[in-house]
Amino acid sequence: MTFAAATREPAQSLYQPDEVTSIWQQLLADRSGLAGLIVIALFALVCLAVWLGLAGQDWAQAKGGRWEAASQTYWWGTNVLGQDIFQRSVYSVTVAFEIGVLVALSSGVIGAIAGATAGWHKNSWLEQTIVLLMGIMDSIPFYLFVAALAFALQGYAPFKQLAMQLAMIACFWTTTARLVRAEVMRLREQEFVQSAVLLGLPAWRVLLRHVLPNTSHILLAQSAIVFAAAIKAEVVLSFLGLGVQDGVSWGLMLAESTQEVLAGQFNNFWAASLPLFALLLGFNLLADALQSAMDPRQLPA
Amino acid sequence: MLGLAPDSATHRKALRNLLQATLLILGVTFISFLLMVYFGPDQTYTLIGKNATPQQIAEVRHQLGYDQPFFQRYGQFLASLFTLDLGVSHSTGEQVRTILARSLPVSLALVIPGFILGNLIGLLLGMAAAWQSGRWLDRLITTLSVSTMSISFLIIVIALQIVLCTPYGLNLFPARGWNVSGLSSYLYYVAVPTLALILTNAGYSARFYRAVFVQEAGREHIRVARAYGASPFTLMTVHVLKNSLLAVLTRIMFSLPLVLVSGSLLLETYFGIPGIGKVTFDAITNGDQPLLLAVVGLTAVLFVLVSLLADVAYRLADPRIR
Repeated sequence: MTFAAATREPAQSLYQPDEVTSIWQQLLADRSGLAGLIVIALFALVCLAVWLGLAGQDWAQAKGGRWEAASQTYWWGTNVLGQDIFQRSVYSVTVAFEIGVLVALSSGVIGAIAGATAGWHKNSWLEQTIVLLMGIMDSIPFYLFVAALAFALQGYAPFKQLAMQLAMIACFWTTTARLVRAEVMRLREQEFVQSAVLLGLPAWRVLLRHVLPNTSHILLAQSAIVFAAAIKAEVVLSFLGLGVQDGVSWGLMLAESTQEVLAGQFNNFWAASLPLFALLLGFNLLADALQSAMDPRQLPA
Repeated sequence: MLGLAPDSATHRKALRNLLQATLLILGVTFISFLLMVYFGPDQTYTLIGKNATPQQIAEVRHQLGYDQPFFQRYGQFLASLFTLDLGVSHSTGEQVRTILARSLPVSLALVIPGFILGNLIGLLLGMAAAWQSGRWLDRLITTLSVSTMSISFLIIVIALQIVLCTPYGLNLFPARGWNVSGLSSYLYYVAVPTLALILTNAGYSARFYRAVFVQEAGREHIRVARAYGASPFTLMTVHVLKNSLLAVLTRIMFSLPLVLVSGSLLLETYFGIPGIGKVTFDAITNGDQPLLLAVVGLTAVLFVLVSLLADVAYRLADPRIR
């Protein structure tokens, strides 16, 4: 790089515009990734419909009889209280998206900031502290941390409901942070970043405009992974009484079904597990496709 | 002098690890303490009835250490973890240590077979997929593992229970309980939980091991061995597996505490098995602070110690990391 070129602030992204299109093209050409994207989009439409009040609004009303079979009024039968299982499952899509989006976004932002800070200030006390914090969070088993946090928040009303989500955020940011940290350490040594530093740009500006945009492939794939992990963990936590506190979710429906399957009632079980499987599969396929489309080092699967 | 140099570096590295482990232990215990003792609900009234005299209240608060300064209470908590003097359960009045000593063997017996088989099957599938990399067997294994990864643990447990333990399926195994008195009854009760653990973990393991083996199989010395006419079996076991043993062992070591905790928590609660997971679940539902605190604190400390031991073991086993 000549000096004249170095005095101008370098281009924002390591990926040239045609490379970004090629990532999209690769993603769209990857049939399983595309299938994952379509499945997620369909669920997002259902979620939107519930938000707009077009579907799943009567999930809490108990109008039917106990354990009614599927019929024209109750598409997937009713539960023990006579509530419409189909509507409950549809409404649960929204609950899953609310949990997934909140956890994926929050842990992504925290992971990006912590990872970038640690990677940028290599060998400083700041990095040591962040790495220690990651080690601590990784040493406490997730389910026990949720239990501890739920115990701690018993007396604090607004946060009590969010104990599960807060615990997920507190535990899930570390993987993102580790990946971002390693990438930032690598990027730091690159010419375009070094020249931005030499131009005298403040560190936050270099990080925000030149370094973090180049970690977007990590952040995107991690978001898909964390989203899936969050809604998967919700099921087990709701069964243990640590998850969604009031309302409905696939986890609560499955918890309900654990009593019913022994009596031969399978509606709750299928109505919760089939959409949950489809959505998780969608996210897993998308995460795989994102990872292989954006990581040139990855061997073709 | 020259001979001493690498040794002192090794010592410095070992000291550094020890320091890190100490900081980690202080960190995890501090968080447990903060969450469950400092910010946790006031335990005074769970211990005494409603109509207590102010004197009784003061006495209990003193016993609980509520009148002592913050760091002294934290110090006492640390001491209780290391002396295993964990106090009494608020819900049963039994020594926490006794409860843990009774339930831990049950959990180990419940989880270990599934853990070993899950890893073994994952290892074999990963090896097969890496060997046939890019061909139909690889695609089949990859598809199967992504599918099982998308099924919730709870769904697997319920489905297995329906198929194997109810009249709606084969009705071969008990739907609940743990009434073990010998090998045959042990196998009878452990079969379904083991199958559930295999199904949840084999997919993740297969994917992980496949990635490790594919990377290792692409190296120069493997190509050389292939050129010398080594059979696929020798190639995969002797050359690939041996060289990626470190990655394999690391995964096994680090996933054990996690599988032990999450596996026992769900399986024991679901099947009503009196192991550490059921004890923890009951402590959660009853708000039994001493028990919960002991489980969280001890597990986290054990996890740190295991990783420290693992690190030492690697150093001894593999001179490259010294």
